[in-house]
Amino acid sequence: MRITQSMLANNTLKQIARSYANLDKYQTQLSTGKKITRPSDDPVVAMKGIAYRSNLAEVEQFKRNFSEAYNWVENSDSALDKATQALQRIRELTVQASNDTYEETQRQAIAKEVRQLTEHLVTIANTKVGDKYIFNGAKTTEPPVTVNPDGTISVSTNSQQLNIELAKGIYIPVNIPPSTAFGAGSGLFSDLQNLAAALENPSTTGNDVTGYLDKLDSHLTNLLGVRAELGARMNRIELMEDRIDSQQVIAEKMLSDNEDVDLEKVITDLKTQESVHRAALAVGTRVIQPTLVDFLR
Amino acid sequence: MLSTFHGLEAARRGMMAQQAALYTTSHNIANANTEGYTRQRVQLQPTPPFPTPGLNRPNIPGQMGTGVEASSVERVREYFLDIQYRGENSKLGYWEARADAVAKMEDIMNEPSDSGLAKTMDQFWQALQDLSTQPENEGARSVVRQRGLAVVETFHYLSNSLTQIRTDIGTQIGTTVTEINSLLNQISALNARIAEIEPNGYLPNDLYDERDRLIDELSQYMEIGVEKHPTGGNALPMAEGTYDVYVMNGSAKVYLVQGRTASAVSFPDGSDVDGDGVKEMPPASGVNALDISGTTISFTALSNGKLRGLIEGYGYQAGTDASGQPIVKGLYPDMLSNLDKLAYTFGTVFNAVHQQGYGLNGSTNHPFFDGISAVSGAANTIKLAANIDDLANIAASTKSGETGNGNNAINLANVRSLLLSNATVSLQDGISVNLASLNLPLSSGTVETNYQGWIGQLGVDGEQANRMKTNSETLRQSVEEKRQSVSSVSLDEEMMNMIKFQHAYNAAARQITVIDEMLDKLINGMGVVGR
Repeated sequence: MRITQSMLANNTLKQIARSYANLDKYQTQLSTGKKITRPSDDPVVAMKGIAYRSNLAEVEQFKRNFSEAYNWVENSDSALDKATQALQRIRELTVQASNDTYEETQRQAIAKEVRQLTEHLVTIANTKVGDKYIFNGAKTTEPPVTVNPDGTISVSTNSQQLNIELAKGIYIPVNIPPSTAFGAGSGLFSDLQNLAAALENPSTTGNDVTGYLDKLDSHLTNLLGVRAELGARMNRIELMEDRIDSQQVIAEKMLSDNEDVDLEKVITDLKTQESVHRAALAVGTRVIQPTLVDFLR
Repeated sequence: MLSTFHGLEAARRGMMAQQAALYTTSHNIANANTEGYTRQRVQLQPTPPFPTPGLNRPNIPGQMGTGVEASSVERVREYFLDIQYRGENSKLGYWEARADAVAKMEDIMNEPSDSGLAKTMDQFWQALQDLSTQPENEGARSVVRQRGLAVVETFHYLSNSLTQIRTDIGTQIGTTVTEINSLLNQISALNARIAEIEPNGYLPNDLYDERDRLIDELSQYMEIGVEKHPTGGNALPMAEGTYDVYVMNGSAKVYLVQGRTASAVSFPDGSDVDGDGVKEMPPASGVNALDISGTTISFTALSNGKLRGLIEGYGYQAGTDASGQPIVKGLYPDMLSNLDKLAYTFGTVFNAVHQQGYGLNGSTNHPFFDGISAVSGAANTIKLAANIDDLANIAASTKSGETGNGNNAINLANVRSLLLSNATVSLQDGISVNLASLNLPLSSGTVETNYQGWIGQLGVDGEQANRMKTNSETLRQSVEEKRQSVSSVSLDEEMMNMIKFQHAYNAAARQITVIDEMLDKLINGMGVVGR
């Protein structure tokens, strides 16, 4: 093949340009940390990249939802713990008052305490976390328990479950509806009001008072059951959080494996390319060889 | 009998011929770096010997040579390599235009990244999830509205940018057609000049070079063929003649240049922007056909070349739909129509779910998105419904008056991952959507996976275009190298020739001196015996 000066020059220029293109590729990979910068670099990586990003965004959101779920369950539990303590105290007082040795004035003092504790229970039922009432189903902007002008107490009947999505397609109920916690209708509160009324009544006998103990016990058992349910839910949420935590690690790893560069490899490639580039440049200086012109005289 | 001065004449011819060869060497060296220049060679051939056979020929032994003449000055070039080069060049033109169109689209779509449409949709989804946990919170509602606005604006941005680039490609098509027509005119003008020179027995080498260069340039725009036609008269056998340039329309040739006449390429339903009487701008509805001076050829007849690459990016008409409107296909029209479908589908299904939910104030049946009454252009017209300005109207609840109920927000969040192939989809808390009755333009996969698929397709298109571009570039380079190997000027070779011709010239001059001395002896030194 006949080779001419212009062919050598063109070739050298082409090789240097190609070498620059490779340098550019490796430098972009190093500075972005990504194997690809546009879909055509690798369509499969690009497509997966979008899916993995969505996946990771989902997992991160679910993790954020967990703190909300904990918020609900823990606050419900601690409120119901206080409610249990108050009920225990009322039970103790009722046991005392059931003694027929207690005089009318003593029973009235106990009745006062029972009334105070009932009010305490009302405030517990109306516990507000942030700006919402946690025991009123979905009507979180209204208090579940209201004291009517005539002194009776009514309890809301909303029993809507509030679900939080904690993993794809898994909805965990996080609230305790008022009827479950405090009895249907005005259950607990009307019993307490009746108890106080009975204690204030001078004709009440010890046996009458003892009759309320059964009712109190059933309310206590109910509360314990609700708290056991909350505890179980808490456990389930913790287990799920563990799983989501490991899912997050997996999602991040998949995203990284898919599109992040292997730094050692790229640096090695870049170094190799640098020497190739130097060689191409060195060759370039030799393109202008002496011709016959330099030797003719 | 040989003439007394025969030797002088032969030597003179030698000097003249070597001089002509030396001048051609100078021409070669001077044009060593001229683009498209082909090295030239002087064809030296002996002049007819003496005597020629005849009745009264002198009776001398053998025929005596009479010297040399420069019979012609020819180009050293292989026509076959030109054909190969032009073939590869039109492929390169096509793939370059396509790779360029895809690259611009990739820049706009900007996927995968932390700022593309997919990311905006992710953020919208996250905002809805947050809303589902705190439906009574104004802040969470406000974030949903803002993220929804971001989704809408991303749709607008993508749609507008793609339309802008499509318009730019249209302008580029106009410029390309003008360029093609200018090349055709130049080629036919060269044909005319060549047709005037060749019958006189000359080879207009430098005009040939210029014409070949113009045809090379033309070949990047369209895949063309060349026919040679002799010019007649006293033209030399190696004269190139005039070139007829044609494109194939199926199996029929449609001539772009025929001798001295050039055709004009235009779009029959296009428009004339530069006022030269040629409709060089393609119609906004996509290219349907090309007009080549009265002959209409379908765009699909162009098998390669930059023009086809540009038209595929810009859009072409592929039949008509049921209502007689042209169906526009092509890289940019396809992606624009996909975005329209996506915006329409997402907006419509989202509205269908939103309208079944209840706002903070118990309001219901409010759409969330507006401006999506038709599929076509939906990506550009989609916007937030006016009533969403009142954040309480965002329907996070599945029941009226339940402020803490965020179940519909979960449903809304899940819209993007609904399987669109289902006729009916049941969501949380008794809400269901009848997808079949919504007449969605997308009926498979989910909103998410459809979008991922298109980005994947875009990537595959780009990868193929880049690969083919590199391939045809390499092939063109290799043909170009072969062509250079044959035709380019080698300085060493020219120097060698220079020495060769110089020596021959000197020797011929020396010959004249020798003959001069012979004649001197003959004329002045003879017949003086004994003096």
